[in-house]
Amino acid sequence: MKLSIVSLIFFALAGLQNVKAEVFEDTGSLNKYGMPGEIDLPIAQDLPDGQFSVSSSLFGGTIRVNLSFQISKNLTGAFRYARVPSSSGDHNGYYWDRSFDLHYLLYQEKNIFPSIALGVRDFIGTGLYSGEYVVATKSLGEKIRFSAGIGWGRFAGKNSFTNIFGIKNRVLEETGRGGTFKVKRFFSGENSPFFSVSYRLNKRFQLISELSPDIYGNETSTSRGFTRKTDLNLGLKYSIDPSMSVLISLMHGNTFGLTVNMGVNPRNSPYSSGIEPAPMPIFKTKLPSGDLKSERQVFAESQRLLALEGIELKELRISKNEINVNVVNRRYLNQSQMIGRVVRILSRTSPSEIKSFKINLFDHNSNFFTSEITIERKSFIANELNFDGPETLWSSISVNNSSKKFFDNNQLDHPKLSWSLYPYLDTMLFDPHAPIRAHIGMELKGRYKFLPMLSMSGSLKQPIAGTLDDVKRGPKPGLPHVRSDFMHYHRDIGSNLYINYLTLNQFLKPLPNLYAVVNFGILELMHSGIRSEVIWKNNKKPYGLGLDFALVQKRGTNGDFQLKNEHYNTYLASIYYDLPNNWVVKLDAGKYLAGDFGSTISIRRTFNNGWEFGGYATLTDVPFSTYGEGSFEKGLTIKAPINWFTGKKTKSVMNAVIRPITGDGGVKLNLSGEKYLYNVVSEYDQKNISDNWKRVYR
Amino acid sequence: MKIIIVLILSALFLKSCSSDDIVRQENSELLGIFRNIAKGMQSHPKETSKAKEIKKTNLWLSKFNQPIILISSLDKTDEATLVALGNNEEKLTWVSADGISVSYDNGILIATRGYSQDLLSLKYKNPANLFSASEIKYDKVHRYLSGQNNYHDIYFKCTGIKKFSKPSQILEYNLSVDTFVEKCEHSSYNYVNTYDLLAGTTIVLRSKQWISPANKSFLTYNYYAFQKF
Repeated sequence: MKLSIVSLIFFALAGLQNVKAEVFEDTGSLNKYGMPGEIDLPIAQDLPDGQFSVSSSLFGGTIRVNLSFQISKNLTGAFRYARVPSSSGDHNGYYWDRSFDLHYLLYQEKNIFPSIALGVRDFIGTGLYSGEYVVATKSLGEKIRFSAGIGWGRFAGKNSFTNIFGIKNRVLEETGRGGTFKVKRFFSGENSPFFSVSYRLNKRFQLISELSPDIYGNETSTSRGFTRKTDLNLGLKYSIDPSMSVLISLMHGNTFGLTVNMGVNPRNSPYSSGIEPAPMPIFKTKLPSGDLKSERQVFAESQRLLALEGIELKELRISKNEINVNVVNRRYLNQSQMIGRVVRILSRTSPSEIKSFKINLFDHNSNFFTSEITIERKSFIANELNFDGPETLWSSISVNNSSKKFFDNNQLDHPKLSWSLYPYLDTMLFDPHAPIRAHIGMELKGRYKFLPMLSMSGSLKQPIAGTLDDVKRGPKPGLPHVRSDFMHYHRDIGSNLYINYLTLNQFLKPLPNLYAVVNFGILELMHSGIRSEVIWKNNKKPYGLGLDFALVQKRGTNGDFQLKNEHYNTYLASIYYDLPNNWVVKLDAGKYLAGDFGSTISIRRTFNNGWEFGGYATLTDVPFSTYGEGSFEKGLTIKAPINWFTGKKTKSVMNAVIRPITGDGGVKLNLSGEKYLYNVVSEYDQKNISDNWKRVYR
Repeated sequence: MKIIIVLILSALFLKSCSSDDIVRQENSELLGIFRNIAKGMQSHPKETSKAKEIKKTNLWLSKFNQPIILISSLDKTDEATLVALGNNEEKLTWVSADGISVSYDNGILIATRGYSQDLLSLKYKNPANLFSASEIKYDKVHRYLSGQNNYHDIYFKCTGIKKFSKPSQILEYNLSVDTFVEKCEHSSYNYVNTYDLLAGTTIVLRSKQWISPANKSFLTYNYYAFQKF
């Protein structure tokens, strides 16, 4: 299931109601930029590892919406979209500006030594908020916190002095193309000191004052902004609970501000180990007469009991002392938990002479057999209620790539046609005329399986209401319009029924570690054609290889079968690597849709419970000036599992991609998730199973 | 605007359908999130009413044709009878109608499932040795799953004291029971478990045991010890 970022944030905040008040969230330490700080200034502190924060602040004509993430123990990152009043503002007296920040805690407070942090603000945007700082923070008891620092850029205005490194001239902010690193600007220009102090009145209230050198040049240049009367900012912070806080501030003696900070931490699941029903317990004392005799009987009873657990048993074969089953898992995000439940049922239903179970997992959509897990019955039973049961059991199991190719469901009585009719919500962010645009409607999805590995799948969308068809901007000049004219599609489709995609899909598995797919037809909203992907993945290895190529023709803008006389091709080679400590890196290189050559690096932090936060950047041979605003393709990705919010078994996830700018350079096809094979195959690999093995008896 | 979108989406969800049971189920759970949000917005105070009390008599027990235990919240507002669905050596697992299971080793709670913050497993002293002692010091470790599917262990230092022979009524039986009181301490959590043992034995008839920081303690009545089949 794919939902938009708006839904994601909405659900995330709804989920906060269940989040336990532990050390997983700390929104009381966020400033108006969504970073560790007091009011406007930073402090030398980090946030709880993994905290994802959404905050919004409003004062003196400025609006900031910040998404921040504690990337690792000491590193905090933020993405911001802000409305900045300015006499030179290009949208009715305002700039609408995107920016990224990083904050690194160099030293944690110990004894008499303060914490020290280093940060860069707006280091990749247009530079409106550009600034760097070094800050030290010292606590006096639990109530008082002092911070002092020196800054550059926006942090150097009032009370400035000569650059401590001797780098005198700072490149002035530019509001044009943006999107590039201005390394030469870092730590350049004059310095100013800044100070803050906070006093904790009680568990919930905090009084803050700070002396900020920020001159707010743009904001004070227009009547839409405010007048800066003093360096002093005053604030009162109220923590409703660790996951939500409100800050009321008096900014520079002139304007009041309001900030709402909310945080959620993937590590802090509201439902801990989940509230899905208990698994079937082991029943060891079984009378010999209680054994089911025939294979058919064992299959029928196992299938019935597994269906109660939400697991589909498709085939069962008894050979000598082993039972071999084909299973499809459509409910458990956690494969280990599902495997445990399968073995529990099989250990109840199978004859006593059976010594081991071989579980062949296959993917519901492609019918690929992916993994083959062998578990000794005796070991599983012996460890069921032992303190270190999962660890002891792990040493006796094996996980391999399945030697079988695909599940042949034609032999069984399965419906070939499946369909669903559900609402959808499409969103578009960062249009200066309307920062959040959305369209709702109904989506009819269908799939018909001609053969086990040959199917047709499609999606028809009927827009009902929204603002996506009202985008005022036009496509970007300079490159073939492979993506930046997306607004013409929404405009021309309007409220008409349209084909989102309609493809014939042929899946192939020539070797145990080699998976392939060919998609032919209407691939996505803007392109039709033929596309193929080949993946090599040994599920015992932390890496995989991929090759993706396509020949496409641009679709007409009405969303029907019409095609434009515009032809493109793309080919990309990919390397996937699961780094230790739950980081996944993907490197693509090749030719992108507009004919540009280059590569994409994607990095994701993954959590065992299914959450993922990541980012990607694509650099190609398209000059930044040709790409236009944003300079190159980049974005942030978030994946949130629904079961984290509900505690129930479901594989549904909410995906969000935040693309600051849509251009034509570094563009790939935008296919539905199940068409990317690496995600399908790696879900069942040994690392994913071992990372979550502690749930095998849950 | 957001509220309107949520309302329209909710209405559309109600009109939605699929040929696939799992797709239907998952979308209805997604709708459940919207419902919870709406409920959360209304936030009516939860009414507390005591569960309808059924007197536990021999006649009541005789109606069960399989072994049962009764578990209850400390204030006895929530009660459930559980049936034995699993045995693994001396360890018995009991399951409630709503899918919660509790596992015991000779009366000591060693695991729960379906309780949200489940007791995944327990490192404990052998029950026969424990309940035979009149006074004993020992360690206990409660193991839980963190939100990231890692272990979260809580280490307790425990003291057990046995109080001998006092009369007690269970169902309609007047019995003499020994009470084993277990006091366990950790820097953040403390609990006191009590086990009523059939006098002179290590058979647990009734107990109050702590599950987890979130779920606290509950009562167990081992009625199967009084059942006849």
